[in-house]
Amino acid sequence: MGEIMLDIRNLNVSVEGKEILRNVNITLRDGEVHALFGPNGSGKTTLIMTIIGYPQFEVTKGEIIFEGENLLELEIDERARLGIGVAQQRPPTIKGVKLRNIIDFYLRNNPEKVDYISKQIEKFEMQDFIDREVNANLSGGEIKRSEIFQMVLSSPKFFILDEPDSGIDPEFLGKIGAMLTEILRSEKKQDQIITRSSGLIITHTGDILNYFNADLAHLMMNGTIGCTGNPQEMLEQIQQHGYEYCIKCNRRKKGVCD
Amino acid sequence: MYNNRHKRGIQSNKEQFDIIDLDEEDVHKLKENLPSEIRSLDEMKAKDVQTLAEVGMLMDESNRSGTYLCYGQYGFVTAQFIEGLECIPIAEALERYLWLKEKYWFKAIRKNEDKIVETISNSIPRGFFIRVRKGYKIKKPFQAALYMTRSTRVHGLHNIIILEEDSELTLLTGCTRAHDAKKGLHLAISEIYIGKNAKLVSTMIHNWGPNFDIEPRTCTIVEEGGIFINTYCSTNPPRTVQMYPFTHLQGDNSSAKYASIILGTPNTYCDIGGTILMEGTNSGAEICARAVCKGGNIVQTGLIIGKGENCRAHVDCAGLMMSNEGMIEATPALRALNPNARMSHEASIGRIAPGELVYLMSKGFTEEKALSTIIRGFIDPGIEGISPELDAALTEVAEISGHGEEWDVIPIRNR
Ligand SMILES: Nc1ncnc2c1ncn2[C@@H]1O[C@H](COP(=O)(O)OP(=O)(O)O)[C@@H](O)[C@H]1O
Ligand SMILES: [Mg+2]
Repeated sequence: MGEIMLDIRNLNVSVEGKEILRNVNITLRDGEVHALFGPNGSGKTTLIMTIIGYPQFEVTKGEIIFEGENLLELEIDERARLGIGVAQQRPPTIKGVKLRNIIDFYLRNNPEKVDYISKQIEKFEMQDFIDREVNANLSGGEIKRSEIFQMVLSSPKFFILDEPDSGIDPEFLGKIGAMLTEILRSEKKQDQIITRSSGLIITHTGDILNYFNADLAHLMMNGTIGCTGNPQEMLEQIQQHGYEYCIKCNRRKKGVCD
Repeated sequence: MYNNRHKRGIQSNKEQFDIIDLDEEDVHKLKENLPSEIRSLDEMKAKDVQTLAEVGMLMDESNRSGTYLCYGQYGFVTAQFIEGLECIPIAEALERYLWLKEKYWFKAIRKNEDKIVETISNSIPRGFFIRVRKGYKIKKPFQAALYMTRSTRVHGLHNIIILEEDSELTLLTGCTRAHDAKKGLHLAISEIYIGKNAKLVSTMIHNWGPNFDIEPRTCTIVEEGGIFINTYCSTNPPRTVQMYPFTHLQGDNSSAKYASIILGTPNTYCDIGGTILMEGTNSGAEICARAVCKGGNIVQTGLIIGKGENCRAHVDCAGLMMSNEGMIEATPALRALNPNARMSHEASIGRIAPGELVYLMSKGFTEEKALSTIIRGFIDPGIEGISPELDAALTEVAEISGHGEEWDVIPIRNR
């Protein structure tokens, strides 16, 4: 087992004074990818926005440790520079700011990545989006593609995908899944660089898991982690019997799910 | 034709800026023939050259079709020999071409328009005359620089620009002051004539500072099929600037676009507007005004008058408040004199949305870089093929604006 990469302990989070997350615990080791299931409004996005550092999500209790650093002491951009990359569910548009401006930002900070970046532009078929306002007038699927593309540009060591499989057609999801597997999960040993990013994937339907392997899954219910276990089994349970059943199931009472 | 700001009822420190004093002595200076401070442009100090470069005036003319530089009171012309392009000091042009007085001199603007115009009209003619002959499209930009030296105190210029039929010119005007110049008044008249199917792309970049007062007066007449694109960017506002360029779209199918980008700082007053009169059939006009206020007062006005058949227009004023001090007033206006005129306007003033800022920061942008990126997007005038000089000026406005935020855009810190 690898070192602990992300450790979320007894986390409570409020928005505008309203408590949304209660006693959330997740431990994720280096090289692992975890899935996060849960019904609408259970607090999945809130959890990842808190990890990223969105200021409106106020941590009232607990801690988030990333590679030994207390994330709660860092600003949002400092966290990003530690290697946390995110593809957001509902990114904003910014008047006059084009995708090109964001690509240029990555290029300026990492001039050596020029080939890598142009390759990704091709792979994600982003050519036509570069000179358009970022996220503006895009379809749901295009937003996902654009967000995942930008996340890939930053070569994160820890990636977060918020519902990459909602509103995207199965064919393209397959493509994205394959690309993500190649970019984030391939172990390149021959040139001595081992890149195997860790990550957290929020998924409603679990569709993305057909193309992308997760090591462990968590089920978020009413702002807390109700169950942790094998992703495939948990997904089957949810699909057959619903979220409620999954929480109440016998195996969980014994403290295991797989 | 010009807005009278005295009638505007502007709040706060209006009085401070109310009246531009035309000092007797200064006015007298405009009537005198003073010797030049330098004999040639080669005598300029490195600092002068650098200051001029900041407003896009390059001494290396490899990407210029020519230069007019008004250094203090004295104008230098280094026009290269380019077929179809002519630039000479206005005094010389008035002597050489008798038709100039008959057809162009004080023909777009009236001598008694206001006291500024009157003052210049009673002075020794200083300024430039540019003419592009019929059918010539000048590829490289022509640069005109107005440089206030320490001893200048007052500038009074009268420029005439003539684009004959089917010609094209890109004009870069940079107005600034020497680093040691403490104070000054800049008065300028420009009369611009855009002939049939001719196109003028004019970009003006200003970099002044707290003790300068700027009063340009520009009138443009556009004939059939002519195009006038006029961009103004102020990277460092003067104490006061009032400009209200008037464009008369006389010919059918003629068009004009004004874009202005202003940075306001404490104790400055910028009244930047413009009027476009659409008289020709199918004429079109657009005004795009952007202001970033870090203090001081900014007034954005834009009036489009639709008189011709099927004319169309849009006015868009947007302001970004970056400080608790200061003011932005946006007053886009439309006046239709023809039932078939199609005109619209919009205006918005606000502050930066925290969600936009944190979004960029979540990608690793520092707060400052995120702010300047958002502001650069906000002030983008949406002009095709934006010149490197304008791009640099806009980037500078964005960087200055995004620097040293007075308040936290992000309300709560997550710690
Ligand atoms: N900015 C906010 N202000 C108020 N309530 C919020 C805010 N963001 C999320 N919530 C509430 O928190 C709960 C969890 O939302 P969210 O984390 O988006 O759920 P999920 O991603 O699991 O669908 C919901 O009830 C939602 O309405
Ligand atoms: Mg969500």
